[in-house]
Amino acid sequence: MSASGAVARAVDSSPWAVPLRLTWLLNRPGTAGSAAALLPAASFAVVTTLLLTVLAGALSFTQWGDDEGNLYLLLAAFALILLVLPLLTLGGSAARLSARRRDEHLSTLRLLGASARTVRQVTVLEAAAQAFAGALAGVLGYVVLAPFVQLIHFRGAALGSAYWLHPGAAAAGVAAVVVLAAVSSVISLRRVVISPLGVRTRADAQKVHWSRAGIAVLIVGLCVAGLMTPVGAAAIALAIIFAAFAGGLAVLNLVGPWLVARSAGLRLRRAATPQALLAARIILDAPKAAWRQVSALSMVCFTAVVAGAGAALLQTAQSGGPEDFLIQDIMTGVLITVIAGFLMVACSAGINQAATVLDRAELYRSLHRMGMPRDVIDAARTGAVMQPVVLVSTASAAVSGALLFPVVGAALIFNPVAMGFLAASVAVGILLVRAGLAATSPVLTSVLEADAH
Amino acid sequence: MSESLPGATLLAAANLTKNYGNSTALAGVSLQVRAGEATAVMGASGSGKTTLLHCLAGIVLPDAGTVRYSGAAPVEVSSLNDGARSALRRTEFGFVFQQGLLIPELTAGENVALALMLNGTPRPAAEQQAVAALAALGLAGMEGRRIGELSGGQAQRVAIARAQVNGARVLFADEPTGALDSRTSAEVMALLLQSVAGTGRALVVVTHDPEVARWCSRVVTLADGRIVADTAEVAR
Repeated sequence: MSASGAVARAVDSSPWAVPLRLTWLLNRPGTAGSAAALLPAASFAVVTTLLLTVLAGALSFTQWGDDEGNLYLLLAAFALILLVLPLLTLGGSAARLSARRRDEHLSTLRLLGASARTVRQVTVLEAAAQAFAGALAGVLGYVVLAPFVQLIHFRGAALGSAYWLHPGAAAAGVAAVVVLAAVSSVISLRRVVISPLGVRTRADAQKVHWSRAGIAVLIVGLCVAGLMTPVGAAAIALAIIFAAFAGGLAVLNLVGPWLVARSAGLRLRRAATPQALLAARIILDAPKAAWRQVSALSMVCFTAVVAGAGAALLQTAQSGGPEDFLIQDIMTGVLITVIAGFLMVACSAGINQAATVLDRAELYRSLHRMGMPRDVIDAARTGAVMQPVVLVSTASAAVSGALLFPVVGAALIFNPVAMGFLAASVAVGILLVRAGLAATSPVLTSVLEADAH
Repeated sequence: MSESLPGATLLAAANLTKNYGNSTALAGVSLQVRAGEATAVMGASGSGKTTLLHCLAGIVLPDAGTVRYSGAAPVEVSSLNDGARSALRRTEFGFVFQQGLLIPELTAGENVALALMLNGTPRPAAEQQAVAALAALGLAGMEGRRIGELSGGQAQRVAIARAQVNGARVLFADEPTGALDSRTSAEVMALLLQSVAGTGRALVVVTHDPEVARWCSRVVTLADGRIVADTAEVAR
């Protein structure tokens, strides 16, 4: 028995055999190629480039092997963790867009008798394939960026050749992107119904319980108490600080949807224009989704507060000691994380909106036919994203400020340099999300003009 | 808004031609829609009936020919820009589609009120009128329900209320009973006809269902983008 024959038989008997063949049939060269197909792949390329760049920077710290080197490794791991949520959000958005883009194919498959499970497998495989194609392009991006990133200094020396990743580590990075895309597509598809009559997103209103706020207050209290407890060992102190910040992020994700829903409820009562009414109702219909769409921004704002305090500390610190390198390097790392985070959030917002516009294409078209101006539709969908964005930014800055207060004190947090850095970061974040939305304006135009010729 | 006298021409289409690539959707269609009249536009799939509805309503522009609307201020629809045609559809026309196409996040009352708010009616007044419009169609007390909580027939009534609430002179319905059972279809058609019978308004229904067409006072049949039968012509 030949090895290839054995592999072919193994594939044929696998429960993935049919989905694999269908995925190839629907995506073989020449069948895909629209801008909507390129968008998720391009986003995954950006994600992979950023992930590999941060990973390469992190692994380059293994060259030292001393205590301080281990501290650098710990901080780099923290930065990598911060990028996981934006990556998951982006993967989910790409999967939704993939399902919408292929909705006619997928519903036809259902009509022909393919099970819901098979069609979901096809969608997940498509998301994974797009992620893989994008990740390969991302590796190229990592290589192209190398000459610039190698100039970045840590512990007083340029990264240089230590920046190059072992091929195995690069492959692991690509695999991680593909797996995360597949996992988040499975999670995301729970809200999408693929029936023989079409693809639609479930429209059941989500309820967000107030108890989230209570739990959040409890976690913040525990975090602040932990941070105020005097501890001897530096490692334990660092662990407590990390745990407190992880707790802070957990709080934000717990309380975020509730806050978004409360705020939208207030706006709904005050809404005097069609766009305000629509924006508030869209958020209230799915506050968790509204939060999730921009929640990655909380990570970035959180990091920006730390960076702001770090910048203030740098300004006041005496020069000369090795600890100067540490503070300066932390700042460099934080800046890289903030930039990577912003780019991921912008990609995620853009891709999510493209999926949403395609999701609601028939509705938008009918509203436009009835005479609803394009501007009203655009303002409603923009408002439904930008209102949570402002909330995310403000709440993240407030919570991280509260957590940082016991560590560095009010003087550093409210230092003009720190406040300036925070304000600039938040402004850039908001502008990037807005730019991501603006980038999907042609998708809305093409949907509305589909029959206006 | 003053209404036209029953029998007066509200919409006049002359020699409408529309092509999509190499395919001809309309090949010189002329049609007059009169106040108080319910016109069914029938035809096989691809005969051009939906394109005719879209041209009459100013949703698409014909390649050749004209559409004239004799409202309070008569206009040539086909010569208006996109914004003016949108405004015309918002203020003078009403639409009911096969699946209602209501906004799922809004309540029934908000869906109806939205049509008024788009025309500048303040929200409290718009919601008050919406409640009255829904009650008139047998949906009293359901204004707070979300669209997903309504049956197909109830959702279509909400769509009718939304189409009528602005006092539209011409109501366009594209397969309005396509997703409904026969009993609910009859109820929906009765409500649509109620809004034009003996008034200065008109109803244009695109359908492939002869049962639906039977409800209408006039049946226009299209084939290959041309009118091949018109009961109004026969009557004359």
